[in-house]
Amino acid sequence: MNILCNEQVSKRFGSHQVLDSVTFSIPEGSVFGFLGQNGAGKTTMMKLILGLLKPDKGTIRVCDETVTYGQTKTNRHIGYLPDVPEYYGYMKPKEYLKMCGEITGMSREEIIKRSQELLGLVGLEQADKKIGGFSRGMKQRLGIAQALLNEPKLLICDEPTSALDPIGRKEILDILGQIKGKTTVLFSTHILSDVERICDRIAVLHDGKLALCGTLAEMKENHKKDSIQIEFNTIEEVEKFMNSKFMMEYLDSSQKKENSIVLHGKDINTMERAAICTLESEMLLPKKLEVLEPTLESLFMEVTR
Amino acid sequence: MKAYITFTKKEFKEMVSTYRLWIMIAVFLLLGLINPVTAKITPELLKNFQMEGVEIIIAEPGPMDSWMQFFRNIPQMGLVVLVILFSGIVSNEFVQGTLVNMVTKGLSRKTIILSKFTMTVVVWTGSYLICYGVSYSYTEYFWGNSKIDNLNFSVFCLWAFGVILIASLILGGVLFRKSYGSLLFTAGFAAILFTLGIVPKLSKYNPILLASKNMSLLQHHMQVQDFISSIMVTGVGTVLFVVAAVLLFNKKEL
Repeated sequence: MNILCNEQVSKRFGSHQVLDSVTFSIPEGSVFGFLGQNGAGKTTMMKLILGLLKPDKGTIRVCDETVTYGQTKTNRHIGYLPDVPEYYGYMKPKEYLKMCGEITGMSREEIIKRSQELLGLVGLEQADKKIGGFSRGMKQRLGIAQALLNEPKLLICDEPTSALDPIGRKEILDILGQIKGKTTVLFSTHILSDVERICDRIAVLHDGKLALCGTLAEMKENHKKDSIQIEFNTIEEVEKFMNSKFMMEYLDSSQKKENSIVLHGKDINTMERAAICTLESEMLLPKKLEVLEPTLESLFMEVTR
Repeated sequence: MKAYITFTKKEFKEMVSTYRLWIMIAVFLLLGLINPVTAKITPELLKNFQMEGVEIIIAEPGPMDSWMQFFRNIPQMGLVVLVILFSGIVSNEFVQGTLVNMVTKGLSRKTIILSKFTMTVVVWTGSYLICYGVSYSYTEYFWGNSKIDNLNFSVFCLWAFGVILIASLILGGVLFRKSYGSLLFTAGFAAILFTLGIVPKLSKYNPILLASKNMSLLQHHMQVQDFISSIMVTGVGTVLFVVAAVLLFNKKEL
């Protein structure tokens, strides 16, 4: 079953078309990475799902209920962590969670139990001080706790790691990793390594359109290009290698970078054999010879170019 | 209903922790004291300024002087403090983005507006009652209030005017998202009322009557029935402002 279905969603701010007929859906239980450059429309898409903005065209369905702008009934299925979560600074974390719980209609016992569990999960059980004195990372962690309070079916996180230091980032990713399987997660970011760590599906937004969408494995398979990287000790060795007769057919598609060269070809075996023959005939000893796997970065660069 | 109570409690907490509640109480307590005391000591002060050869005849101060101070100080100072203190009540939340978490938790926008309106009216009523209580007690102690007619009704009229100002602050906050926007909206609203005050035919419907003709009521220049139309307009206006604020807020992008 799909938790979220977007059909032909468009949104324009003035003359700027932020989203243009974006269609995708998220199956239950997956961790969905939503990628795009800054200003690609990720936050806008999320706010549309939450009914905080009004789409110009298209429909959004959460758990088979249509999202209506202004009346945010579908939000009872959703937990939301904004990019910069803002709180009432004079409250303590427990007070804030209690207020959130009461607003969503949870019972007193439930609120106490869930608050304790979640503050433990995000590592804030000892932080009994006013939120106004929290660091950015602590606010982000409290944001996850408040988003998960009413056990939502869908958790939406807007760039939860982009402004954090490496430790803070790791902690947030670990928390998201822990809830994987229990809750469906939609997670926007422009940090590709975060996506590779926890997401099983991704979508790339570019110029308001969906440039890529599918599972991470599928995508790597579809965009697979056989490449070999060979690293030498000097630039002269690179020149010598490329001037060899075996390398003629790879000359056009190769990329030179200082002491190394990347060869692209259709068949990895032929290419590798040719490279080794060249090394043998030119009496060259490389520092490194590596068969390159397609990375998310190369995919991302390819579709957003 | 539970969400309404929760959010209203949060508003109360906010007023305590941002000192707005204490400032209101302190200002109105002070005003409550000033009214009868000024009436009492003004003649004494003037006596000290008496110069040789010049005789100033000063009437003996009475309860009416104390209430004259009350109905001058509250509109001129008390209401101004109220408007300035609460000008950010809606806009601060827009600026800080604190409502995003609340709305995405399913809190209806109507509840937000109604909670804010309720709590501000409660604080206004509380501080106003303190002011009234203090003024009344001192006036009673100095001269006695028994000769004053229509006092409670007159006090109620000024209260109702405060309530419509609060409603306009909230509507202004929703419209302009900035605290000075809400301040300007309310100031503009008051200015329009003052301007309309010069049209004799409209004056009996004008809400400004409730904050400007209180002494005429006490001095029997005007009667209770002269204020009824203005009270009706003020009541309907307040409801319209709040309803408009809710409808507009429903359409606002957060």
